[in-house]
Amino acid sequence: MNRTASIIIRRLGSLLATLVIMSFIIFMLVEIMPGDVAQMILGQSATEEAVTALREARGLNDPVLQRYGRWISGVVVGDLGESVYMQGVAINSILWRRVGHSMVLALTAFLMFVPLSIFFGVLAGVKEKKPTDSIVSFFGLATMALPEFVSGVILISVFAVQLNWFPIVSVIPIGESLFQNLNIVVLPALSITLVMFGYISRMQRSSMIQVMNSDYVRAAILKGMPRKYVIFRHALKNALLPTITIIGMNMGWLFGGLVVVETLFGFPGMGSLLMTAIKTRDVPLIEACVLLITVIYSLSTMVTDIMYSYLNPRIRFQGGQR
Amino acid sequence: MKRTLSIVLLMLILAIPMVFAGGDKEAASTEKAIRIAEQVPGLITPGVWDGQAFSMNSSIYEYLVEINTETGALDPILATSWKTDDGSTWEFSLRENVKFHDGTDFTSEDVKYTIERTQDPTIGHLKKQDFAVVDSIETPDAHTVIIHLSEPRPTFIYQLTDYNMCILSSDYDYAGMGESKPMGTGPFVMQQLIPKESASLARNTNYWAPNLPKVDKLLIYFVADIDASISMLESDRVDVVPFVTPVIKNRLDKVEGIKVISPYQEQRFVAMVTDMEPFDDNRVRLALKYSMDPQILAKSVAQMDLNEGVYYNETPIMNMLAEYKELPLRGRDVAKAKSLLAEAGYPNGVTVELYYASDHPFGKELAQTIQELAAPAGFDIELKGYTRDIYLSQYWLNVPFSITGWGGRIDPSMLLSLAFRSGGAWNESHLSNPAVDALIDKISAEADAEKRTGYYHELQELFYEEGSLLNIQVPYLVAINDRIVDYKQPLTMLPQYKYTDIK
Repeated sequence: MNRTASIIIRRLGSLLATLVIMSFIIFMLVEIMPGDVAQMILGQSATEEAVTALREARGLNDPVLQRYGRWISGVVVGDLGESVYMQGVAINSILWRRVGHSMVLALTAFLMFVPLSIFFGVLAGVKEKKPTDSIVSFFGLATMALPEFVSGVILISVFAVQLNWFPIVSVIPIGESLFQNLNIVVLPALSITLVMFGYISRMQRSSMIQVMNSDYVRAAILKGMPRKYVIFRHALKNALLPTITIIGMNMGWLFGGLVVVETLFGFPGMGSLLMTAIKTRDVPLIEACVLLITVIYSLSTMVTDIMYSYLNPRIRFQGGQR
Repeated sequence: MKRTLSIVLLMLILAIPMVFAGGDKEAASTEKAIRIAEQVPGLITPGVWDGQAFSMNSSIYEYLVEINTETGALDPILATSWKTDDGSTWEFSLRENVKFHDGTDFTSEDVKYTIERTQDPTIGHLKKQDFAVVDSIETPDAHTVIIHLSEPRPTFIYQLTDYNMCILSSDYDYAGMGESKPMGTGPFVMQQLIPKESASLARNTNYWAPNLPKVDKLLIYFVADIDASISMLESDRVDVVPFVTPVIKNRLDKVEGIKVISPYQEQRFVAMVTDMEPFDDNRVRLALKYSMDPQILAKSVAQMDLNEGVYYNETPIMNMLAEYKELPLRGRDVAKAKSLLAEAGYPNGVTVELYYASDHPFGKELAQTIQELAAPAGFDIELKGYTRDIYLSQYWLNVPFSITGWGGRIDPSMLLSLAFRSGGAWNESHLSNPAVDALIDKISAEADAEKRTGYYHELQELFYEEGSLLNIQVPYLVAINDRIVDYKQPLTMLPQYKYTDIK
């Protein structure tokens, strides 16, 4: 367990370093984006003096490093600044509501696609080269090939337009909360599920086949253990490892704002907020969103690594000895 | 055992959608609410309001006067009457017993504050230049305001219909709260504003006009994507979607229960800059004019016929205005255009870059059509499209050939000195013509309406002969549900939701 702890500590250290570097890169990238913030705020008719005065007032004339320092020292204590447009409105009050919505969507999608794709992946792997396998593999390949904006449109036309089971647009009616309108989550989550299903079920299938053909599984079957016991007790635990890596690698994408899906469905999450921020060049809001996404990516990678080392002693021991 | 477990698990997964399902919920209340899907607003504080979220601001704030959509005349709103001598002194009587949403009384001090605020250098007020002419403001009593101008402006009152000139309370902190808690005297009160997401407005129970507004609530969704807005309209989640494109209009025309209306036209100025090659030569400008075909422009840009939604002329005056003088359409004459170009020293044609905002309605379509139409005459037009903010901040005013969107002005003189007088802040074609300057000055100072119209006509003839622009007027389109009655929106772009009702 000490070794796992040392891995966690080292990962935390590198996470911190990643964030510092990333925050600087984000700040610099936004910095070189064309268009002047003061000019954008004041509009096309603003006079030169007005623009200069506003630049001065907002500290935009200070050296880059000084502005970066000011921004990052705010971020460290949890102050993400104010939106360019919403003077007097902290980004914190805009962002976290959206993050919450995105988390609900991601979690729903997660609960849908993880068990589904693992189940069908195992099924296909165990029934290798049988009709079940062909059907699952074909379906997985088909959904994997469809980008989410295509499968999303198909879902909308089937479930929202034809069957009228779910709303076409995932907008929360004014005055209500997401939890009163959970039906708006289903179609976006389904379209994510379709994207992830093929990916994960195929990974699960191939690792299952590999494990089922390994010597220890053959030995277990030969010594007369029930097949189900072999599959679930011996094979599955090993066959899950690559799948967990893949799931973990996609956690960042899933929880870090699904820009395409949210925009397509008009879902009020972090992805669509980022889209709006970019469209209106709301620099502080872009920085806040991207930084948060970086944090989520780094955290999810770290969690995957830790889980992996827990499940796979080889990595745990190697890591501890170095 | 394992099998049972996995079956149960699978059924649970499949059951998730069922738990969430329930179809579209109906708002089961007797309140009358109009639901609107608008673009995500940028700045909304009056003075620097960038002209988005019209339905929200125009319902919260009010003006001294507003345009009557039927007659085009001025309706008294916060001012009950007004008079002027020769246009240099303006006296307004203000409406009594009007309260701001925060409970304070509306008085002459508020009008004085609103107008003096335009000159505040820290705000960057968009009407700063137009109100620089205000010399002093007197408030003899709580309901009278006298504005002294430094020179006569017979049509000064129209400046007060500009969307950034809504009357603000002198006691309210607009710098700190203008973005988060907009507050005025309007027919609706802000209830809840969720930034970048939605706004909920409720009827102002203290509103001065009896029986107005007609509905209880305005529910405004800020939707970044126009297609998502249209989906909401088609699935009956909203009733009104402004800023619709012609392509969407064509589709919606076939949908039952929804209609697309065009309350007014907007202008697109194709500016040929008079001090840069090649348009510094009037023959080149004329050559371009002769290569245009207004009917094709109308069809290809907006899928509409000329003079039925789309209008075309070569002057700064919109066809719908009283000041407009009908001048004959040139008719497309490629041979003449070619010979004009040759005369000007371009016998083998000329290459020019056309700059425009590619994401602005009609921008791309217009640029492409002009490119195609002008090509046979010898214009090799290179298209330079940029997003609107980049276009406006980096190219506009500094390039030889450009397309820019201009809102209509009910009083065209408001636009003339800004865009066509030498030294004007937005003089995009760098026009510096003493005859034009003289006419613009006469127009803004002439108190006699008939004489003023005469000057307008002279100006238009001048533009027809040697002017620097094509003025293409495209429809502003709003898609509305059939249940909505009396949707009113004059040329000032401000929708008047107090009159709007729902069946």
